[in-house]
Formats: sequence, structure tokens, C-alpha cells
Amino acid sequence: MKNIKYIIIVLCSFYIVACESELDIEPQQSVSEDVATATADNIEAILVGAYNTGRGNYDGDIANISVLFGNTNQVEWNGTFSNLRDIYFKQMVNNNGSANTIYGNYYLLFGNVNTVLANLDKFTDPDRQDRVEGEAKFLRGLAYFDMVRLFGQQYNAAGGNTQEAVPIVLDPPNVTRQVARNTVEEVYAQVISDLTDAYAILPDDNGNRADKYAAQALLARVYLQQGNYSAARDAAHDVIENSGHGLMPTFSAVFNSDDNTAETIFSWVITTQEGANAQVTHFATQALGGRGGDISITPAYLSKFDSPLDERGNFYYTDAGLTLSLKYVRQFANTEQVRLAEMHLIRAESNFREGTSLGLDPLVEINTLRSRSSAPVLGALTLDLILNERELELGFEGFVLHDYKRTQRDIGGLPYNDNKLVFPIPQSARDRNPLLSQNPDY
Amino acid sequence: MKKKCKVVFLLLFLNISIAFAQQKTVTGTVSDQSGVPLIGVNIVVKGTTNGTQTDFDGKYSINVNEGQTLAFTYVGLKSVEITVASSNTINVTMEEDAAALEEVVVIGYGTQSKKLLTDNVAKIDASQIEGISTPSFQGAIVGKAAGVQITQVNGKVEGGVKTIIRGLSSVSASQEPLYIIDGIEMNNRNTSSIGANLNPLLSLNPNDVASIDILKDASATAIYGAKGTNGVILITTKRGKLGASKVSVDFSTTVGEPTNKRDWLNAAQYVELLRESAFNSGFFADQAASDAWVDGRLPRYQGDEDWRNVDTDWQEEAFQNSITKDVNVSVSGGNEKTTSYISGAYNDTEGIVRGNNLKRYSLRANLDHEVSNKFDVGLNANYSSTIIDRISGDNSFTTPLQAIAQVPTSPVYLSNGDPNDGTLYANFLLQDKHSFRKTSVRRILSKVFGDYQFLPSLSFRTEFGYDYLSQTVDRNTGRLAPFQSTNGQTFASNNGTEIISTNNYFTFDHTFGELSDLNVVAGMTYTRLKNRAISVTGDGFPTDDFKSVSSAATISAGTGTFTNWAQVSYFARATYSYDNKYLLKASLRNDASSRFGADQRNGYFPAASAGWIISEEDFLKGSNVVSNLKLRASWGINGNTPVANFGSLGLYGGTAYDGVSGIAFTQIENPDLKWEETAQTDIGIDFGFLNNRISGEIDYYVKKTNDLIFNERIPFEAGAPGHAILKNVGNLENKGFEFVLNTTNIQTDDLTWKTSFNIATNKNKVTNLPNGADLITGRNILREGEPINAFYMAEYAGVDSSNGDALYYLNTENSDGSLNKTTTNDFSQAQRIIMGNPNPDLIGGLSSNLNYKTFDFSFTFQGQWGASLYNNAGQYQETGFGNGLDNQDVYIFKNRWQNPGDITNVPQARLFRNNGHSASSRYLQDADFIRLRNITLGYSLPESVLEKIGFSKVRVYLAGLNLITITDYRGYDPESSNDDANTNTNVGNTFYSAPPAKTFTLGVNLTF
Repeated sequence: MKNIKYIIIVLCSFYIVACESELDIEPQQSVSEDVATATADNIEAILVGAYNTGRGNYDGDIANISVLFGNTNQVEWNGTFSNLRDIYFKQMVNNNGSANTIYGNYYLLFGNVNTVLANLDKFTDPDRQDRVEGEAKFLRGLAYFDMVRLFGQQYNAAGGNTQEAVPIVLDPPNVTRQVARNTVEEVYAQVISDLTDAYAILPDDNGNRADKYAAQALLARVYLQQGNYSAARDAAHDVIENSGHGLMPTFSAVFNSDDNTAETIFSWVITTQEGANAQVTHFATQALGGRGGDISITPAYLSKFDSPLDERGNFYYTDAGLTLSLKYVRQFANTEQVRLAEMHLIRAESNFREGTSLGLDPLVEINTLRSRSSAPVLGALTLDLILNERELELGFEGFVLHDYKRTQRDIGGLPYNDNKLVFPIPQSARDRNPLLSQNPDY
Repeated sequence: MKKKCKVVFLLLFLNISIAFAQQKTVTGTVSDQSGVPLIGVNIVVKGTTNGTQTDFDGKYSINVNEGQTLAFTYVGLKSVEITVASSNTINVTMEEDAAALEEVVVIGYGTQSKKLLTDNVAKIDASQIEGISTPSFQGAIVGKAAGVQITQVNGKVEGGVKTIIRGLSSVSASQEPLYIIDGIEMNNRNTSSIGANLNPLLSLNPNDVASIDILKDASATAIYGAKGTNGVILITTKRGKLGASKVSVDFSTTVGEPTNKRDWLNAAQYVELLRESAFNSGFFADQAASDAWVDGRLPRYQGDEDWRNVDTDWQEEAFQNSITKDVNVSVSGGNEKTTSYISGAYNDTEGIVRGNNLKRYSLRANLDHEVSNKFDVGLNANYSSTIIDRISGDNSFTTPLQAIAQVPTSPVYLSNGDPNDGTLYANFLLQDKHSFRKTSVRRILSKVFGDYQFLPSLSFRTEFGYDYLSQTVDRNTGRLAPFQSTNGQTFASNNGTEIISTNNYFTFDHTFGELSDLNVVAGMTYTRLKNRAISVTGDGFPTDDFKSVSSAATISAGTGTFTNWAQVSYFARATYSYDNKYLLKASLRNDASSRFGADQRNGYFPAASAGWIISEEDFLKGSNVVSNLKLRASWGINGNTPVANFGSLGLYGGTAYDGVSGIAFTQIENPDLKWEETAQTDIGIDFGFLNNRISGEIDYYVKKTNDLIFNERIPFEAGAPGHAILKNVGNLENKGFEFVLNTTNIQTDDLTWKTSFNIATNKNKVTNLPNGADLITGRNILREGEPINAFYMAEYAGVDSSNGDALYYLNTENSDGSLNKTTTNDFSQAQRIIMGNPNPDLIGGLSSNLNYKTFDFSFTFQGQWGASLYNNAGQYQETGFGNGLDNQDVYIFKNRWQNPGDITNVPQARLFRNNGHSASSRYLQDADFIRLRNITLGYSLPESVLEKIGFSKVRVYLAGLNLITITDYRGYDPESSNDDANTNTNVGNTFYSAPPAKTFTLGVNLTF
């Protein structure tokens, strides 16, 4: 009988172990696709996720690339990232890390927004549905516009534009998808279609997210890049007249704000908890949250200013022998995507080119902008002066590469359409998708 | 019934005898068959706790009653029992116990005599790892088992350890063996929340290890089913032995330095090369202009000195001479009912890299208790606390080794004694001074067990194990530390992993007739892992004196996750031997894991093996030459599960934008995800000649893995998270020979010399991929017919001697299929080809032990051949300033192209110009090496002295680790790899990675 006791003890250990239902374990931090796309609230939450994905590229990376790739003599590269150094020296190779990261992240963004667009039927409130659709198309249009400018040759206003850009993907994620590159013409058409749709259905004001004038402002930029000056002018004019945005009273007030200013048409939100301002990372000292001044301002850039009174020409500080821009000294400031000053510059340039004066005479418009920064007014305008004014006002904000290309100016000793001024299709993307062709000279 | 009556009668008789017996003192001498007195023989009066031991002359004295029984026990000898009669003198001669001399190996859920084993198991005893000063037990077994490659990731004390048994059998599931300690699964999952991996097995005190058995072939591992693919390492800890208590005290002091230092440019060389490089860049009109640029640039880094007067060797700042202290105390012993082993240990290891050290406290109690002659219970309890001062990962500006990139004309300190904050890259000494990152690893490893003998041939064992691994991190960055912009930051985290497991199994062991032995094991096991991780980051502190998160102005980040998984398994194994000649074994295991969907949950893993001991056949029995000859063959299947707990599900997780929460697609679903399966066949011969003076094993194995779980890279355009999907996509194969040779070279009374040699080949090949297409991750490729993760990159072709351009082979395919070896200076035109293998195809070890009188001397050499290592920092260290102002390897200075006609492989130095620093075979090197892994010289006091001072052992020893490394590898060390970026598929790269330590140890072992 004594043995029975022991048998009971050992059999107890079997009792501890329950049946195989122990194996039905659900994840705690995630939900399945069915749940994620089931409701309008969730679809809108996916749109919020898309902004987060987009911020991965627009936290300053895309702007910095334009500054470095488009550099002739405006900035000096002092940093250590070889991917950015190769961009700066126009000696990119096909496995450049920046090209790879940006390319991959854009298609994640397309995956996000296309999921939203494919599930619009979940909405019952038509206004909400329009807003969500508009925001998704705004993000997609913006992304394709930057992709076509980086990965394809400059748009030719005279037509053609059969040069290859990037594949257009308009459907939700699909693991078996293999697509070839579309032409520059096709991608621009998609960009204009998305932004035009977005403009039509977005509300006038949408907080920190994209509103209809953000779409219109981008359209102005797109038309300008295409050399479609009348359309650029009209779009910029619409924004200036109707968006409710205005120029900040001083130049310094435009930058380093945690919140959007009156001049901000659209910016990407950075907070202590979200995102990382890559403009601060590469322009600022370590004490300000940067890497110690990877990108510094050259005397050649400062010599573009015609007056020592121009506040924009004095908008810098020095640290350890480096001249660093004051535009990016606040670590958790939002990164500007488009601001009203650019609309004035677009309208002025387009009016000037078209010989019109929609809204304002080009000379008056340029002088208005100069006056804000205490720069002496100009007596007469030339195209070169207008283009120079863009560099003075928008320096280091990510315009120089695209402005030089559309105006067919040499960049760093290379002709504007040099193959080395176009990004390579990342080697990794081609390893994954054999349909992707490579750009010339890579 | 008859038997029972006898027992009762005997008991009565004993009782009566005790009642009437008279106590007296019995003395005597215990000696072995040759008449030599035996020291330390345990003598107990049966049924009592009364016991003693023989002294140095083999003499004993004990108080006992007539009629009581004295039991004499001694390791390796047959026990003797003598009933005390009238004589007061009992002299005993003890005989060798042939069965005890036979080596016993630990296998899953039991043990087996090595002689009758049909598996391939490598055994390592405590004596083989004693005195090797490494913080982890894995470091001590390097080179000691055939086909087992153990590599510490790099020279940081807490660094991860990579153990590969018989080649890599998986691409993205676990590549590590299963660790079982005293029958209980041990968590070997890295839970480091800051940067580089941390070896979870660090928490184990190597001094507690009694033996390590490494299961290699499928017949041995298949009993562990889904977890046995990569081999199984069974750790057995020390237990108490019957007899008087024995106290052991071991302490040692170790000094260490890096195995290797490299030569970097001094200030004069640096300035000379920089001037030349600047001129060559073409950015400047003439030499005067480029010199002016250099003269204008270098003052940026000079702190408050004149750079012309500074010559800093930054490497010396990063390394330190280390001192390690180790103390271990154990007490073991016991009586017939209860035995125990109790130990306490303290280890204080300083790293060879500045700011890196480790302190470990550990306690262990192993108890065995006999409840009745049928029922045994026991307890293992182990607690350890390991506190590590960590440094940043290799890919961080503030890791000490990145100091070698600093400009040698930068002073280390300013004149006020603070670290120079004006260096080219962040000065790690600012980090060293103004920040800390402390990790505490606390671990409880325990089990209770009961073993009940139903019948002489049938027993049941139940084990309940608990393994809790808690890792907490406290990281503070003061406001003066590099990259600190938020008035100080503190990160605190806690990651706790708990494994609850239970094993329950029956063992049936019976001899049928005279010759047939059958052993059957059958049972089940259940394992559940729970992990809970939380972290919080606070920014903005009033002053640097405030360091805890509570003092932070903003809580800027936080995480909290909870995950778990479970596995239920059933297993059975039968082992049969006939006449100790013909051996058979078969096993089957069924595993069900929560990591799969309900349809794919179950896996069945069979194995079978057979052996024939030829030397037991009549025609060889009694041979003077052949003492052992056994043929073995085995086959079996193991599984492997994905690392992710929910790998088959499509998942959406949380994210946020502008303070609004959002949803992010985080994982693609694959409902078809199933087990990886590895089928392994092994054929082996065990041999022994000349009374086993020469013995060894030869094995040939083929491991074929099907349904490889792989994070298949999908087109970016798919738009899916991670650009990858977890799939069963391919097959691979490992084939190899293993050869082990043990020899007793000299055996005389005073001198014993033994040698053990092992060598193993492994040929690894990917045999099938979806659509036969290459899968490329960075510089590594999976391609059919090639080794797993082969290096895939442009082939460097040296330098154009006419202009100093770096050249690459085009390697485009010619129409006849050959490769076009025309060179180009345009990197993008050079096609990538397979350039090497990150894993060795030949590894070996040679150990030798020599005992002369009371001196002992031993050493182990290890070697590896066939692997390459890619220096990912070569693009900065060996470019002639093409990629920044980083200090350069002297090799560049000495071999650079300068004038037309120069024949060299170092291109012309061109400041900020990419002349040869893109990823190519230029930075890929063979990592073959032979290393004197450990060497020990010990001296024990002779018995005559010990007797006088009352000790049973006093030994002093001098030991060395990694003292000699023979290699052509030009970097720090062929065993230092990048701890920030090495993953299963991105392997074999080094990046400012610290070399291992080279150490000398002086130690003492005392036993009394």
C-alpha cells in the first residue's frame, strides 16, 4: 500500500500538463489582416501608419539628397556616411545604401496607401472617405514625384519622356508581384492624377495632415519641374490666394518651430517620441542633436548674396571651424515639405516666363520676399536673378538638384542630364526583381 | 513469499544482534590488487551515518558493533562489504571494477555505456576544462570535440558565442545547438536590449560542470526531435558522493591583453599620406593649395595643443591590460541516504577593451535523497547574478575600438584633463567618462525530480524544471557625452524569460536470458516559454547627478511586449544488444509547437541505428593487437522551428504619427509554414589497439535539410513589410568526415603522456532554392551548388600600374560560359561572383596531457581552415583617405601606388575619391589559423607533505589562453567579428571588432 502513495505523487506530474490546447497561443502585440482592415477606423489607422512610413524618407533624407547630389559649390560634406559622400561627389555605385533604403521604403509607403485605397468601401461617412482617399493619394503622388526625379532623367517639356523611371504600383501588397519600370511620362501622369484627385476631395484645412492646398502646392512644384509654367503659376496662385497661409514676418521665424507656422503648407511631424529630424542630424552640432556638422556652408554660397544686410546670408553659426545653417538647429522640429515662400517664387518665375502678372507683378513679388529678410529691393528682374533668389530663400531645403536640372545648368561640373546625376536602381531591388533594368552607367 | 520471509528474518536477526552486540574498534588496511595502499576509501557502517576514510597509508579505524556490516567504496573499484565478526582487524583488497571503468555517456533521457553506444557522442570531462580562464563554459571546450566549432564573436567579455555542430543546417531558423542542463532545457535565447548579443550561458559557473556530452548524429539527437537539428549539448553538473565531506577551494588570478594589435599611421606618416592624397584628389590647383587645405583642416582636431606637436596612438587608449579574479568553493559529500554538492563562486573578469567588465556571483546546491530503496528524489538549485559593464556595439562611434579611426595629430585629452571633444569622430573617452551601460543578468536554474523503481527492471522518472533569466539594463548618457543633446538620457529595461518544463518517462531495462539486453524509454515532455519585456527612456535631467528615469523631464519612449510559446512532445526509444556484440536502437518523437498553425503543428521524428562490436567476436576476442573494433550506422530525422513565435500569421501592429495611433503592416502571412527537416546518416568506426593505448573514432555523415525556413526576399515593389516572407523554400546539405585519435604515448609509474587529436571536414552546399534563383543578402548569397551564405561581391583586380586606379574584373559571362577577366576601373561594371565561404570546411584540435610525478602539463591547439572574413571597416581603414580622414593601416602607407610603373595592390590615395573602396574582394581575407588555445602547467604537493598539513590536494598552476596564434590574416584576429551586424544570413564580417583576450593565469586548487 505504501507504494500507492508514491505512484500518486508521480502521476501528479502528468496532471500538471494539460492537453494540446496549451499550444493555442495568440500574439499579444499584433492583430491579423482581417481585423486590421475590418473597419473604417482601422483603415484610417492604416493611413496614419502610412504617414509614419512616409516620414522615414521625408524626415529630411530626400531634401538632404537633393542638397548633396545637386551641389556644385554651395556646401561641403564633412560627414562619415560613405553613401552620402558618394552622392555628394556624384560617384554613386549600384549598391548605394541611401538609394536602397529610400527605394524600399517608398514601396512600403505604396503598400500602405494602396491598402487604404482598396478598402474605401469600409467608410460610411462620405466626407471622411474623401478625406482619407485624398490624403492617401497625396502621399502617393508626393512619393512618385520624388522617385521619378531621383531615379529617372529630367522631364523634357518638349515631350518624349520615354526614359525609364520606376514601376508604378497601385494595388495593395502582393508578395508575388514583379513589375518592370514605367517611363518618366507615365510616372508624371500618375503623380498629376493623384494630386489632382487629392486636390478635388481634400478639405481646405486638415490639421497637420495633408489638405487640398498641400496637394495644389505640390502640383505647382510638379508643373514647374515639367516646364508647364502656366499650370504652375495657376496652382501657386490658388494656394497663395485661397489657402489662408501667409508669410511669417521674419525669416528666422520660419524655421525650428515645433509646430507648423502660418507659412507651412505641409510638414512632417517630428516629436521627442516620433521620428528623427535628419536635417538636424546632418546640419547641426552634436550638442544640438546632430552629428557635428556633416554638411557645412561654403563661402561660395554666401557670396551669392548681393547684400550683407540680407538676413538669409547671415543665417548661420560657426562651430569648430564649420559654417553651419541656422535653419536646422532644433532637434524635434517638424521637417518642412512645402512652405508659402516657394509658391511666391513659383508664381513669380512662371509669370516672368509667361510674361504675365497673375496675382502680383514678378518684380514686386520677389521684392516682397527679399524685404522680409532685409535684402535691398531689386530694380529689375532677370531669369537668373529669380533662380538665384530661389537659392537664397530655399537654400539647403532640397531644391538645388531639381532646379538645376530643370533649368539645364551644370551640376558639379557635370551636364544636367549626366547619367551620374541619376540614382542607380539599387542592386538589391534588381536582385529581387529581375524585370528591373538598370540606369545607364551603373 | 519465501523471499520476503527471509528478509523479515534477517531484519529480526539484525535487530537482535544490535541489541546484544558490543561496540569495539576495528582497524585495518585497504589496498588494491597489487598491494598498494588506497587513500581515501570511504568506509561506512551500513544502515548508519557512521563512517570514515582511509589515511595516507591506507589505514582506517572505526567503532562498530559485531554483526554490523562495513561497506568499502572507492571510485573505479568494486565495492566490498564485510560483516564484522570477532576479529578487530579487517584488511581489505579491492578489485578493479571493469564496468565502472567503462566510460558512460549521457544521452537524452538516460545514460549509456560508451562501449555499447551506436550514436556519435563526444564527451568532455571536467578535468579537461579545469583552469581555463574564460567567463563562459563554451570558451573552455573549444577544440576538444570533433566537428564542433565554437567561436566567440569577439573580445568583449559578454560577447555572444557561436557554436556550430557539423555545419549549418538552417538559414533563418536557429543555428545553435540545444542546451540541456541536467535533463532540463536551458534558455539560450539572446535577450540583449542594447545592441550586440549577450551570451545567455554566461550565467553558468564553469566550475560546477562535471561533464559535457555533445550529441552529434541523428540517432542521438532525434530523441530531442524538433530541437535537435543543430546537435544537443548536455551539461551535467557535479553531485555529491557518498563519503566524508570534501571541501575544495580554487582561486586564480588572470592577466590579459589582446591577441593582436595592428599598426596604424603615426602622426608623421599620417600627414605625409594626407598631403599626398589631397594633392592626388584633383580638388586643388597645385600642391601648395592642397597642403594649405591639410594645414587648415588638421587644427580642427587638435584640442588646445598644436597638432604639429601631437602624436597619439589611439589604439592604446582603446585597449587595456585586464585582471581577472576567480574564486570557487565547493563542499560535497553525504551518507547513504543523502548526498549533496554545494558551491559558491565569484568571478570578476576585466575585458581587454576599456570600460568592459563582468562580475558573476553564483550559488549551487545539488541534493540527492533516498526516500526508500525504491524512491529517490533530488533537487538542483542554481542562482547566479552577472553584472556587466558594457560598451557600445561595434558599429557605434562611441565604442572604444573606433578610436583607431581618430587622427593621430589629435591629443587624447585637453590640457585641463578632460577628454578632447574636438576629435574627428566622437571621442569615446567622453562616453567612458560621462555615461554607463550596465546590464544585470539574474538567473535561476532549478529542478526537482523523483525516480521510482516499480520493479527491478522498471522505473519512472519525473522532472520539473524552472529556468528564469532576467536581464535588466540601465543606460545613462550624461550631458557631456557625445551626441547628447537632451540634457541627459536614461534608458531602463527589464527582459524576463521563464521556461517551465517537465519530463516524465518510464525506463524499462531488462536482460532476457543471458545475452539479450533491452532498454526502453518512453514518456513525454512539455515546455513553455514566457517572455515579458519592458523599457522606458527618459530625457532631460536637472544635472548629471540625476540618473534615474524618475528624474527625467520627458519620458520620450517606452515599450512593453509579452510573448510566449509552448511545445508538447512524446517520445519512445528502444535499445537492444545481443551478447554485447550486436546493437540496435530506434526512437520516435512527436513534437507539437505553438509556432505553427493548427494544420502544420505536428512533426514526427524517427531515428534508428545499429552497431556491431567485431572485437567481441571469437576471431578477435583476446587479440593482443585489436582491443576494440565497432562498426556503427545511424539514420534519423530532426526538425527545426522558425525563431519567430508567430511566423505563420499575417500581422498588423501599432504605430503612431503626430500623436495619433496608427496601424502598420508588420508581417506577411504564410499559413503553409512548417517544420524544417534534417535527415542525417552517419557511418562510424570505433577502434582501439594495444589494450586501447591507441583508440579513436572515424565518422562520415550526410545531413540533408529540406523545407528550409527562410526569410525569402521579395521584390520591393511587392510593398510588403520587411520586403520578405517566411517560407519553407529550399534544401541544403552538409557532408563531412570526423576523425578522433586518442593515444597513450607513455605510461610508466612516474610518467603518463596522452594525446588526443580531432579533425573534421564539412562541405556545405545549398542544393535547392525556389526556381533555382539566387537569394542575396548584402554581400552574402544563397546559390544552388554553393556553400550557404557564400561571399558574393566584385572581384578586386589590383591596381593599374600606369595611373594608380583600382581595378576590378568585369566577370561578365562570355559566350562560352567562362568569365571575362578584363579589368575595369568602374566598379558598377564589375559583376559580382562568389569569392569565398564565411564558414570553415576543416576544423581540428590537438590536446595533450603529460603527468610526471606530481607535475601536470597540458595544452590544446585548435585550427580552422577554409573560412574568409570580410573587413567592412576596410572601406575606411584602407583607402588612403578616399572615404574620410580616418587613420590608415600602415600597410596602405607602405604599399601605396605613387608613380607610374609601381606594381602594387594598393591604389593611389585620393582624398574623398572612391578609388577602390567599394565592397569587393579587396577587403576579404582568408581567416585560416592555428591557435594554442590553452596551456597549463601544474604542480601538486606530494602525499608525504599533504599528510603533514592535513590536505588531500594542494596544486598550483600556471595557465595560458590564446597565447600563440598563427595566421596570415591581416586584421585583428580571425575570430573577431562584428557584433552589431552578424545575422544568420549576413555573416563573416568584422567592423572595428575587438580581438579575443590572450591571458595568463596563476591559480591554486586546495582540497581537504
